[in-house]
Amino acid sequence: MSDIRAGQERFVAPVEETPLRAIDAVDVDAVPENQWKEAWKRLRTSPIFWLASLILLVVAVMIAFPTLFTDADPTKGSLSLSFEPASEGHPFGYTRQGYDVWARTVYGARASVSVGVITAILTAILGMITGAIAGFYGGLADSLMSRFSDIFFSIPLLLGCIVVVAVLNNTFPERGYWGSVMVVVAALALFAWPQVTRQMRAAVLEVKNLEFVDAATAIGASKFQNLRRHIVPNSLAPVIVTTTISLGVFIVAESSLSFLGLGLPTNVVSWGNDISAAQNQIRSGQNLQVMFLPAAALAFTVLGFILLGEAVREALDPKARKK
Amino acid sequence: MWWYVGKRLLQTIPVFLGATLILFSLLKLRPGDPILNLAGNKPVSQEVRDALAAQYNLDDPLFVQWVLFVKNAITFNFGETFSGQPVFDLIKDTFPVTVVLAVMALAIDAILGIILGTLAGLRRNGAFDTVVLVISLILISVPIFVVGFVAQLTFGVKLQWVPATVGGDWTLSELVLPAIVLAVANFAYTIRLTRTSVAENLTADHVRTARAKGLSNRLVVRNHVLRNSLVPVVTYLGINLGALMAGAIITETIFNIPGVGNTAFLAIQRGETSTVVAIVTFMVMVYVLMSLLVDLLYAVLDPRIRYV
Repeated sequence: MSDIRAGQERFVAPVEETPLRAIDAVDVDAVPENQWKEAWKRLRTSPIFWLASLILLVVAVMIAFPTLFTDADPTKGSLSLSFEPASEGHPFGYTRQGYDVWARTVYGARASVSVGVITAILTAILGMITGAIAGFYGGLADSLMSRFSDIFFSIPLLLGCIVVVAVLNNTFPERGYWGSVMVVVAALALFAWPQVTRQMRAAVLEVKNLEFVDAATAIGASKFQNLRRHIVPNSLAPVIVTTTISLGVFIVAESSLSFLGLGLPTNVVSWGNDISAAQNQIRSGQNLQVMFLPAAALAFTVLGFILLGEAVREALDPKARKK
Repeated sequence: MWWYVGKRLLQTIPVFLGATLILFSLLKLRPGDPILNLAGNKPVSQEVRDALAAQYNLDDPLFVQWVLFVKNAITFNFGETFSGQPVFDLIKDTFPVTVVLAVMALAIDAILGIILGTLAGLRRNGAFDTVVLVISLILISVPIFVVGFVAQLTFGVKLQWVPATVGGDWTLSELVLPAIVLAVANFAYTIRLTRTSVAENLTADHVRTARAKGLSNRLVVRNHVLRNSLVPVVTYLGINLGALMAGAIITETIFNIPGVGNTAFLAIQRGETSTVVAIVTFMVMVYVLMSLLVDLLYAVLDPRIRYV
């Protein structure tokens, strides 16, 4: 086993598992297809992918054009409407403060999803750079980077965020809409990047020993060219899967922080804030839609991202699917 | 084996120092007069000011303050709340119920997760597997506090099987529902991990050999598939403790359980950042220690780890 280098084992064909006809059917003259094109081909045939896309498309339209769904203003509440039942144009009635429940849910998508998306992008970039450096250069760079990321990895996400948000909220009491989004994003990203670093590092370690990297070196590619043109693009698959799934995880984490009173400030319309504000309805058992509507919207969005991640995982790693 | 244990112990030291450094810097980053922060933003006399500065070593250089912070954390000296109660006393009073809750949740998580995951993994892509997968995806998507509220509403308010909130004099039976809620959040991941692990081991060479020997299916699954599949699951359950502790803050708040998490929540609500940092420091210490124990257990369970 020891003279097979990491990544090479895939070339040892599992003969007994491959019927002869299938081997004969391989067109050896065909132009090798791009990894991403092949993945897209598999993705297109996946029903999970289309279900996820449908959910996320609805959410995206909600974010871009909320007025298509509702005419009501989510920031205008009137106490005289407190817990008024559903009426024409207000299909789910009103909250305790007299806000339109449906309008709040539609407009809440914006803040909740943007926290998730910005955090996921930031985490992916940070993790990819640090992971690629650690995996590619090895040695001291690797040891330092791994120990450094271990420190952040040792603090559970939500616990770390609680402290960071509590401190940053004190530091910037006047921070406006995007300021408050960035506080939550910074806290989540600070404790989430090591996961991507670990995956990127493992993928780079595997890819950098493959033949095509040796081939590129042989025709004169520099170390950095190798890293940028050959190693990083071929190590991205696990990072893409994790990032897609973590989008959902970050949206849930933001709502949990809001529940603890540490998410976005209460004047921001977000699902977390609305669920948190409606929690008293539970103990009374009345007007449950005030809580369940934003909760359902949140759960569907998260489900969309998780399903998308699953579909992409299967498309990028056909080995796992066959098992 | 001892080489591995020693290496792992040494690795814990920089992680612990780094984690305390992060928490310490956050504490120091707070704006305003640190003495006013400690006194709850009430004006204080010069005498009190000097006493607080001496008590919290505020006149020392930052590095010395950090060393003292680490020393205090190791000796469980976490300072005082705004009302003058030592934070460690607060933790000592509230920690037992959190431990009971976490252990119950971990047990539910492990038992249900492993059973369902194994059954799903043995018949991969069967009807049972599909149902379990769909349910686990839904459980991952719903935030734990929504699960908590729904459970509280259904079993506490509507059906009245259990009291809706726990309160000061808690009993084991009252903690069952909160423990299930706490377990639900992680249990989906346990199922999925067990399922993948079992399915992978089913095609392993040693399992084929065991079948070739003519062992019954039950024996093969029990002795050859499960035993090997559970190693990563056990490790994962250990890592789960971090999520369990964060989840405890939410679950204890919903069900009004007087645990560490609820105490942290109340401190957040009162704006006592120093108390929050103290409690979180304690939780991170517990977590780092538990991950160390789990890693050592991993080496005991899986001989391959010891010789790397």
